[in-house]
Formats: sequence, structure tokens, C-alpha cells
Amino acid sequence: MKEINTQESFLQKTLRFWIVIAFVLIGFATFIYGVFGPHPERAWQAYLINFLLWSGMAQGAVLFSTVMHLTKARWSGPLAGLSESFSAFFPLSFVFFLLLFLGKTHLFPWLNEDLAGKEIWLNIPFLFWRDFFGLLILYGIGFAYLNQALQLKLDPNQPQVGIRKLICKRWKQNGNNIERIKNRMTIWGGLYILAFALVLSLIGYDLIMSMDPHWVSTLFGAYNFVKAFYIGLGALIILASVFYLRYGEASGLTSSHFHDIGKLFFAFSLLWADFFYVQLVVIWYGNISEEAHYVIERTMLADWNSLAWTVLVLCFVLPFIVLLNKKVKTKPIFMIPICAVVIIGIWLEHLLLLGPALSHNSDSIPLGVSDGLIFLGFFGVMTIAVTYFLRRLPELVRYMEKKAA
Amino acid sequence: MAQLTYDQIDQTILDSLNPPKKGYWGIVAVLLLGVLIGAASWVYQIFIGIGVGGQNNPVAWGTYLINFVFWVGIAHSGTLISAILHLFRAGWRNPIARAAETMTVFAVCIAGLFPFIHLGRVWLVHYMLPIPTQRLLWPNFMSPLMFDVIAISTYLIVSSLFWYTGLLPDLAVVRDRSTGTRHKIFKFLSLGWTGAHEQWRHYSRSYLFFAALATPLVISVHSVVSWDFALGITPGWHTTIFAPYFVAGAIHSGLAMVMILMIPLRKIFNYQKIITQNVLENVAKTIVFTGLIVGFAYATEYFIAWYSQNIVEMESFRWRATGEYRWGFFIMVLFNTMFPMLFIFKKIRRTIPLLFGICLLVNIGMWFERFVIIVGGVAHGFSPHAWGLYAPTLVEYGIMLGSFCLFFFLFILFVKHLPSISMTEMKETIEKGALDHGA
Amino acid sequence: MGLFTNEDQVVCTVGALKKSVYQFHRVNSPFLSHKIMAALKLRKSAVGWFTLAGGVIGFFSGFFLAIYTSVQWNLIVGGKPIVAIIPFIIVGFEATILFAVFGNVIGLLTQARIPSYKWLKNYDPRCSGKHFGVLASCKPGQVDELKDFFQKQGGEIREFDDKRQAKPQSHQG
Repeated sequence: MKEINTQESFLQKTLRFWIVIAFVLIGFATFIYGVFGPHPERAWQAYLINFLLWSGMAQGAVLFSTVMHLTKARWSGPLAGLSESFSAFFPLSFVFFLLLFLGKTHLFPWLNEDLAGKEIWLNIPFLFWRDFFGLLILYGIGFAYLNQALQLKLDPNQPQVGIRKLICKRWKQNGNNIERIKNRMTIWGGLYILAFALVLSLIGYDLIMSMDPHWVSTLFGAYNFVKAFYIGLGALIILASVFYLRYGEASGLTSSHFHDIGKLFFAFSLLWADFFYVQLVVIWYGNISEEAHYVIERTMLADWNSLAWTVLVLCFVLPFIVLLNKKVKTKPIFMIPICAVVIIGIWLEHLLLLGPALSHNSDSIPLGVSDGLIFLGFFGVMTIAVTYFLRRLPELVRYMEKKAA
Repeated sequence: MAQLTYDQIDQTILDSLNPPKKGYWGIVAVLLLGVLIGAASWVYQIFIGIGVGGQNNPVAWGTYLINFVFWVGIAHSGTLISAILHLFRAGWRNPIARAAETMTVFAVCIAGLFPFIHLGRVWLVHYMLPIPTQRLLWPNFMSPLMFDVIAISTYLIVSSLFWYTGLLPDLAVVRDRSTGTRHKIFKFLSLGWTGAHEQWRHYSRSYLFFAALATPLVISVHSVVSWDFALGITPGWHTTIFAPYFVAGAIHSGLAMVMILMIPLRKIFNYQKIITQNVLENVAKTIVFTGLIVGFAYATEYFIAWYSQNIVEMESFRWRATGEYRWGFFIMVLFNTMFPMLFIFKKIRRTIPLLFGICLLVNIGMWFERFVIIVGGVAHGFSPHAWGLYAPTLVEYGIMLGSFCLFFFLFILFVKHLPSISMTEMKETIEKGALDHGA
Repeated sequence: MGLFTNEDQVVCTVGALKKSVYQFHRVNSPFLSHKIMAALKLRKSAVGWFTLAGGVIGFFSGFFLAIYTSVQWNLIVGGKPIVAIIPFIIVGFEATILFAVFGNVIGLLTQARIPSYKWLKNYDPRCSGKHFGVLASCKPGQVDELKDFFQKQGGEIREFDDKRQAKPQSHQG
């Protein structure tokens, strides 16, 4: 198989590298400018939306690898390895979480409200610390899983630096015992799935649902983690497509991989729409004022309702119609725009959920150029993290499972 | 483990169709007795009135609804195994797919009886059909009960067609191996299927579409059933998590029922080489997963009830765990979420009597979950002066007994007259297995 | 008809048969064999179009049914609008699946041309067990050559009188 020299990958001082760096800097600058401007809450809103979006994407992508391992699926091949590269965003996401609380006065509408009993739950210290430990545990388990999974993938003959050295040392310590590593992967993978469900639900309740503190929806937590897996899959497809387009056969990816993951993506588009509808129909039908105002504001009142329709079209209608066709799923060049459209759709969906709560007084949808630039900034950070990981550990791209000796 | 041959598969399964021993007819007779008791109870109810049941104010929905949801739930995992696992290309589904699909068809039939039973004045059922009448009234399609009519009828029709289509190649096998009357019957039933490549070409495409269509159907039908409750405003019922929660619960109880059916079947017909320990283990592992989802739903409901600080919600959930029906609540939590976790341990997964026992407990627990939700919801609603309790009457117990006996009665008749494992799919699995180990 | 118990032999036979002077009719197999189907290079089945047509009809029928019946009782009930798309999506969705399945079944029956006993002509019952049958026909004088051909490929023979076909059968190894 042709060697992929990811040392010369597109992140090495080429034009693309500088564009990505520029994205990050522009995003950062726009954010700082916004924070010190007349409407800091707009900037913090954009920060929160992007933090949730990109963290969810990374968490969902790593979930793919754990699920593939636990179900002993054989169709995924190199895709599972590629998905693990998203874990590079975990430490960055954690830092973003810590920085998020710098803007707490602009972010949490309930800070100065009378919460009638909810203060035990909705107060900054408790919220901060429980989400802190939640993310710490989730990311910790994720890395523990990777610690095992990478041992099966790394080639000990490559020069040993940094993480590679650590992993290869572990591999030697384990005495090349593949069975034991796989068992450990099952345990950590199972724990990751459990933590994913619990922590992402918690984050959904704490950072999105509580922005409207007197509204509840029991499905909201699950809705949040389904969304995360949906965009995680989308991001994985984009990454896989980019690699396939660049390296062709040598990437180890075939059209049947794309077909299968395209089908899974299609299924999650349906699942996302289902979870969206399930909440909508129950709240609409019951018509109880405590709940209905949330839905009315977002789907029926002027301005926000056009955003709601846009989200539905981008995240469900378009992928549904396009992905019914088998051929499209196998052509990476088409999958990139489709998945990108879905990710933008979910970004807008976060705005739809958070916007009316965070920007009560605005006359129109608080979406402008600055939001787009901050989005690009986060996109740049994610790109750098993932490609750095892949550059350091190129075996993830040409995945060859170690056979028992 | 010696590789199975096509002959062995055919022979083992066709052996199951041999004339049964006397004990078989004894069991059939007992089950038929149960069915007749159920029928008699129902006839009694039709003559006397729906009041012979225990449902009243405030609990207007009792065991008839509990059993309805229970049987629809059982039906779902059959389609999950045959359709959804087919899409995932999970080979371990093949030995159990046929029996699971059959379980679905029978369970949906029985579930469909319950709205009919609960109607009381069954001669008015035609009100529910969307046909022009002299009353100039149409059914109200805004009502969740009408959603149920459409969803359950669709599910019944689709499952039956899916089941029959899957059976076709096997019916041909029986035709080719039998003589006399049986040969004539199966010649008619197999519709001239000969496995010609032209037939396979269309068949495989059709089966794929069946599976692809049955999958959203599974999710939507039980969501619709859950909306019978969630679309109302009753505390404990009006909650958005119901649809996925009910679907997961349905699969949970259905998988447990599949095990309850498969384990004795395996022993009696010597299917051990076909329905291997691995297949049973995989079902057990899936039960762990669905048990966790159900547990997550229980925890979420409690958390949100507290978070909402809505005194009615909080009271409803407090009463569930500490009120008159708390024993039902504890059975529900223990049997549905705690005991299935034992399947995490390989030793327990591989001990067949434990597998059977825990699955039985899961089914009991899932029945009680519907009891806790349905009865517990309406018994303790908004107005304290309207709080009340509910107990099923003999008539209801009779009908419930009839429904369980009818299910096993139909299933036992099925296993002796139609091939209970899909020979065709087993041969495909062997072929694929050979490919995997070979090249 | 030639009866084989090995897929690979069937694939070879079919290839050789197509190049020969004899007429190839069909392969009967006890289960769907991807190797054989690939070797036969068949067109994709049209059943999908029937399913799609059914689905589209169902989608519109479902909504039509719900909306039409609702509009007949032109009074607000339960605080819901008379034509409410959100709940009617459920009716539309179920009807879509139902009619798509009907389309699927109609497609299968018409395309595979079942039920029909014509398929049972020139059919060996062993083909539903462990044998694959390859049906070929030839001119009256060539029967023995055809039999030889099949036997060389490793198959047992089964002759059918009216079409003078020889089916090679192979013995399981």
C-alpha cells in the first residue's frame, strides 16, 4: 500500500494552513471586539452556540468508534480510526468550557430572577462544578478508551516521540495481548457511551434548556445527545471524504464504507427529525401555557419561525431527499456539502433554541456577520486539532488491525 | 464447532414439522381452554356492559390498555430483529428472525383486540372507519385514538405481508420435501416459488425495501401508542420523553419474550446448533442496552419532575414511589433495570435457566411499568378530591388470561405447522460465514 | 438441468454456458447467492419504483383523508385549528408506509411473476435443498454433448423431456 506521508499533509505551512490560522485569529478578534462592544451578550451567545456545537461534534465522533467496537461491527474499518482523531478537540473544549463562565452575567438569564425553589440546582457554583466534573469524566473515559484502542493501531517501528512513545510503552507492557486490550476497550467504550448519554443530557439541561428556566421537556437531554451524534457523523463523513479525495485508494476507504456511513447519517437525520417532532407534537397538542410559550415563540411568531423552517429544511428535508439516492452516498465530493449543510443547520438550530431566551429584546433574529466569523474561528480550531492529531498518528488513516501473533 | 451443512439445517427444521407427540396436544388443549375463558369473559362483558371491568372514575383506563400497550410492545422487537438487524447486516439475527416475526404478527393481532374489547359496545366499531355514512360524521383524525387505528392497522398489514414474504422460500422447501395433502397445501402457499435467479433478483430488492419501511414503522407505531397518553395533560402522562421511552421499553420486553419463546423451542426441537449460545448472548446484551435506556428514562422523569418545581408533577411522582401502588413501582424499577444488568456478566449470560428467569422477570416488570404509568397517572391527577384507586375484576383477569393463552396457543400451532427457523437465511449465513473464514 | 452443490462450480458453468452453443435458461438456487447473481450480471430490479410510487400516493392520500374529514366538521374542537398539519403528519406518515408496502408487494408479484405454477415446470425439487440447478437447452441432436458439458463442470444430470435439457449436478465435496 502506498505510504501516506501525512508529514506533508495540508497542514504544513501551505496556503491552507495559513487560511485556517487566519480563521482562528479573525474569529478570536471578532469575539473580543464583540465582548467589549455595546452588546457583549451577542458575542457570548455566539461563543456558547459554537462551544456546544463543536464539543458535541467531537464527542459524537468519538462515540462512533466506541459504538463500532461494542457492536463488533466490521464494516467501519478505517472510519473508526478517523473518528478517534476528533478527541484532539476534547482538551480545547474543556478550556472553552472554563472560559465560558467569564461571560456568566451575559449568558444566564436566570441569574437575577426569582427561581422559586430551583436555586438549589440553578446557581453558578453548582452548575459550573457539575458540568466541570461531567466533562472531565467524559473526556477522561474517552482518553482511557483511546489509550487502549490506539495500542492496537500504532506501528511500534515508527520513531517514538510524545504520545506515540506513551502508547507504544503501554503496548509492550501489555505483552501484545490483543484479547485483553479488546476487553478493556469494551469496558471503557461502554462507560463512554453511558457517560456520553448522561453528560450530554446534563449539558443540554444546564446550558440550553435552563436558559428558559421555567420551561421543561423531559426529552431535551436525549435530544441533545442525538444531535451530537448526528453532527459527529456528519463531521466524520466530511473528514473521510477529504482524505479519500486526497489520497484515493491509499486511505483504505472504499465506496462501500461511504455507502454504509451515508446510510447511518440518513438514519440519524430521520432520528433527529423524529426527536424534534416528538417534542413539538406533545407540547403543541397539550397546549399548556407553561410549555407552549417556548414552542410558540420559536416556531410560530414572526422572524423566529422562518429560522425554524430553515432549520427543518436544512437538517431534515434536504438530507432526506438527497440521500435517498444510493449513488450520492458513495460520492465523497457530494457528501461534503450535504454534511456541511447539516452542520450549519444544527448551528442555526442552536441559535433557534438559545436566541429567544438570550436575546429577549431583539427585534429580529440575532444573526449577523460576527456570528459567522466566530463560527469560522471555531471551525479553524477544530481543523487544527484534528489534523494535528492525524499528523502525529498517521496510522489512524491507514488502519490495519493488528492480528494476533 | 463443526460447520453446519445445508442438509443438517433442512433436516433439523423439517423434523420439527413431524406429527407431534401426545403431550403437545395436551398443551394445546390447556391453552385453548384459557382462550375460551377469555372469550367467555368478553361475551359476558358484551352482554352486561363495560362496567363489569374495574375501570371507573378516576381510573378509566385499566388492564385493557395495559395489555394493549404490552402486546404492541412485544410485537415491536420482532420487527426490530427481522427488519432493523437485517439492515445492519447482523448475522446473529438469522436463526431467530422467523420466530420473532411470527411473534410480531400474533402479538399485533392480540393487541388489536384490546381497543375492540375496551369499546364495550363493539357493534359500534364501524364509527371508527373513514367511510361516508348517513350520519354525515367522519372520524376525528385529530384524536390520538384515531392515530392508533391507522398505526396499528398499518402495522398489522405490513407485518403480515413482511412475514409471508419472508416465509415464501421456506414454504417452497417444505413443498419439495412433502407428499400428499401437505404437498398440495404448500404448493398453493408457496405461490410457485422455485428460487430462479429472476425471482431472487426481485425478491432481494423487495425484502430490502420491506426492512427499510418496517424500521420507521416500528418507531412510529409505538410512538403513536405512547401519544395516547402523552398528548393528554394528565401529570405523569404529559411528557415529551414518552415516544422514545416507549419504543425502547417495547424492544426491551419484546426481546425478553423472544428469549422466553426461543429457549424452550431450542431444547424441544434440538436447535442448539442453529440457535447457538452466541445468538442468545447477543440478545441478552441488547437487553442490557434497552434496560439502560429505560432506566435513563425513569431517572430523567424524576429529575425533571423535581426541576420543574410544578407541585402537581412533583406530587404525582412522589405518590408513584411511596403511594398505594409503590409495590408496582418497585417491581418496575427492579425487574426492568436492575436484573437485566446481571447480563453484563458473561457467566450469567451463558447460563440458560438464568437467562430464561431474568427474561421472565423483565416481562413481568414491563407489564407493571405500563400499570404504573397508566393507572398511576390517572389515579392521582390534578384534583385531590378526584383521587382514587383501581383494581381489576375477574372479567378483566379472564380476558387477560385469554390473551396470554391465545398468544402461546397461536405460537405453538405455528411451530408445528410452519418452519420456525428460516432455512433459507441460515444457508445464506453459512455461505457468508464460509466466506469470512476462507479468503 | 445440471445440479451442483457448489456455488463456484455454478459460476464457472454459467460462464462457460454463455459462451457455448447451448441456450442458457436459468439458475435455481436454494438461497440468494451473491456470487451467482454477480456472475449473471442482471439488471437492477424495478420493484423500487413501485414502492416509491406507492409511498407518494400514500403520503398525499393520508393528508387528504385527514384534511378532508376535518373540514367536513367545520367547528373548532379542542382549541385546535380545523386543518392542523402537526398532528396530520402522523396520519400522512403511516399512510405513506402502508401504500409504499402495497407498492412493494405489487411490484414483487408483477415483476417476479408469482403466483404462478409455470415456474415449477422443468424444476428439480432438490434445488430448494442443497443443490443449485442450471437449466440449459440444446438442439435435439446435441443432448449427449450437453450432458458431457455439464458433467465436465462437475454436475449431476437431470433430463427434462420436452425441452431436452440437461442439468448438471455436482456432488458435495
